[in-house]
Amino acid sequence: MIQSHDPRMNRLGLPDAPATAAAKGALDQFGTYEAFHQKKEGAPFVYVGPVHAPEADVAFLFAKEQYSRRFACTGLWVVPTAAITVTDYVGDQEWAYDSLPLLTNQQAAATAPPAGPRSGDDTAAEAAYAAGEEDYDIFHLKKRGKAHQHVGKVRASSPAQALQVAKAVFSDQRPVVNVWAARSADFLRSDDGDRDIWTTTPEKKYRDAISYKVQDRIERFKAETGTSQAD
Amino acid sequence: MNPTLDLLYRLADDQLILGHRNSEWNGLGPILEEDIAFSSMAQDKLGHSLQLYSLLHALGEAEPDTVAFTRNAPQFHCCQLVELPIGEYDFSLTRHFLFDHAELLRFEALATSSYEPLAQVARKLRGELKYHALHANTWMKRLGTATDEAIERMQRSLDFTLPYALGIFEKTDAEAEIISSGLFVGEDELRGRWLESISKVLAQTALEVPDVLALTPVLGGRHGQHTEHLQPLLDEMAEVFRLDPTADW
Amino acid sequence: MYGSASTHDLPTTALTGLENEDPILLAEFEARINRGEKIEPGDWMPALYRKQLTRMIEQHAHSEIIGSLPEGTWITRAPGFRRKMAQMAKVQDEVGHAQLLYSAAETLGKTREEMLTDLINGKSKYSNVFNYPTPTWADSNVISWLIDAGAIVNQLANAKGSYGPYCRALDRICAEEAFHLKYGHDAVVHMATGTPIQRKMMQEALNRWWPAIMTFFGPSDKMSVHTEILMRWKVKMASNDECRNQFLDMYVPKILEIGLTLPDANLRKNEETGQWEFTEPDWEDFKRVINGDGPCNAERIAVRRAAEENGAWVRRALLTPKAQYVRPLA
Repeated sequence: MIQSHDPRMNRLGLPDAPATAAAKGALDQFGTYEAFHQKKEGAPFVYVGPVHAPEADVAFLFAKEQYSRRFACTGLWVVPTAAITVTDYVGDQEWAYDSLPLLTNQQAAATAPPAGPRSGDDTAAEAAYAAGEEDYDIFHLKKRGKAHQHVGKVRASSPAQALQVAKAVFSDQRPVVNVWAARSADFLRSDDGDRDIWTTTPEKKYRDAISYKVQDRIERFKAETGTSQAD
Repeated sequence: MNPTLDLLYRLADDQLILGHRNSEWNGLGPILEEDIAFSSMAQDKLGHSLQLYSLLHALGEAEPDTVAFTRNAPQFHCCQLVELPIGEYDFSLTRHFLFDHAELLRFEALATSSYEPLAQVARKLRGELKYHALHANTWMKRLGTATDEAIERMQRSLDFTLPYALGIFEKTDAEAEIISSGLFVGEDELRGRWLESISKVLAQTALEVPDVLALTPVLGGRHGQHTEHLQPLLDEMAEVFRLDPTADW
Repeated sequence: MYGSASTHDLPTTALTGLENEDPILLAEFEARINRGEKIEPGDWMPALYRKQLTRMIEQHAHSEIIGSLPEGTWITRAPGFRRKMAQMAKVQDEVGHAQLLYSAAETLGKTREEMLTDLINGKSKYSNVFNYPTPTWADSNVISWLIDAGAIVNQLANAKGSYGPYCRALDRICAEEAFHLKYGHDAVVHMATGTPIQRKMMQEALNRWWPAIMTFFGPSDKMSVHTEILMRWKVKMASNDECRNQFLDMYVPKILEIGLTLPDANLRKNEETGQWEFTEPDWEDFKRVINGDGPCNAERIAVRRAAEENGAWVRRALLTPKAQYVRPLA
């Protein structure tokens, strides 16, 4: 057995020369979900990164601690990576919607705004939903190296159409380097009642750099030992 | 012991010892993301114990560090459930599930405690404990309905752990006064709520739940009688602290 | 916590594979980097860029997860609430950093499973310093402060690199490292200015760790064709010597001001050149350790392997038949 300085390892009883480990299966750590957080009420949801998880509920548990354990957070969404449709990436000064296939005039008319998300007693919208249209969440990347940000929802009958609708709805937003679209139904979202799971986050000062103030101690030490003169 | 102190010591010692135990998983968890989540909850438990020891300090007891790092096993009031070694992940998850349900309900009840400083702490921790219970329930439901291997493991862990979990509700001599003074609803009441709460979740799994109240509880912890695991845990935890008791670390 | 993308183990041949790349795409790729734009996962990229970045981010990820172990050694023994909770949070962060970095590497096409398999079979490298033990609490503090400080020098440089997902991960990591650095400094200062027992313990730990710290950024870079290309592509952002020199500039005074000494009689700053002079680290020993023969290599790998094996049933249980692997998006 390997003797460790770590008592936990000695309790594990690690074998001395383990045999070669078998390769991990392709899904040994599951598929991936993408997570988005909201820093404060009213702020847009912003992409924070992926988690590996078997199901959305587990993905939510994981994303909550991996991406929102430190800083203020008021909401969290997770969605399967596979559920997101991605446009081409374009240059920092360009508009990613320009890379979409061009529509015929007829198609363009069919996707013209207003085609926002479900609201109140909109009978046209109800008819559209009944005909199979759904809400999609749209995310923009404004600059390469930054994070995708939620810009709103559109109604469409396919991801490709959702991007076309978004092109019309968000035509005033530029530049856009990349667009993500995902069916709203595919997200697992925290609701307002869950917000208290982040209540104590700002109080966990032991993991904040600012709670470690040691300059006074250093000055006192220097004064006592006279090293300040030696500097 | 004064009923407030009696109650606070039990709560604080449970949180400290289980937080310590669960921290042993950090870096060794079954999935990276789970490793992170489990560590957060262990930190939370340490944080709870610190807040509770601080209430004790305000009532004239020693500093939290002194109380946590210098007592020996017979002076601890934790239930034996929390001191058991981490074992395999099925046991640690089952303990987390059984303990955290009791913890959530206990703090819910304490939110209206007649001892206002404690009630304040309890109210503040509500959301944090909600996440802990959500985590525990999700795992219990997932593993309790998964492969035969997982169900068998979880069943074995549940059967082993339940008698220890009943030890959470062991009463002390102060119980009558704790209830009559409005400090807390009492252990019997809590146990009833807990049983209802865990049963709801377990009913959604393939696990068989025995007649819990017919089991023989593992008692003694609240009276300073502990398993052989607690003293070595304390010695390990205080190894550095005791190197130089005069030091500021 | 990662020191350097050590280029010393790059092929010394002048062949880079660039001859086989489409010259127009290559020109567009380089023009984008020259404009200061980041490369994102959907972009065309040369095979060498993908390969070198994958290797570097993967090594960085391994360094985080293995790097959690020397400090994890003291997680159950940290003295007092303040240290105990912070030590837990720090070890947790290292695991979190590994998760972020594996995710960034996955966007380049290598799965987390492949990376972890390579790690537990000893096929991958990680920062060599983590093959040394932490026999006392003070050793853990030295890592928390000085290894993290070194890592920050390197990571701040890399955060200005060209690959978007790596930059995003590093931004987050650097924000968290700010806590590590302050926490580590705080712990070292308390020891170094504390009781005689504490001071002795800290000085001994520093003496043990200093040679390893001096190797943290890797040997001087040999300027090869590869190195030049990787710097042009903003994969490698600063030379190993530059990082080491910057680290010494920032931290030697902070070490000395709290009464600690450094176990290298030749260590001094040449005020004319602005460069630090020091006893050349034993690079032969470094090579021996990085190739598997260090005091803790076997343990580090065995621990990771035990974690994987002990958790296998959990992962088997949760895997649903409909699960499909998709590369993370960004």
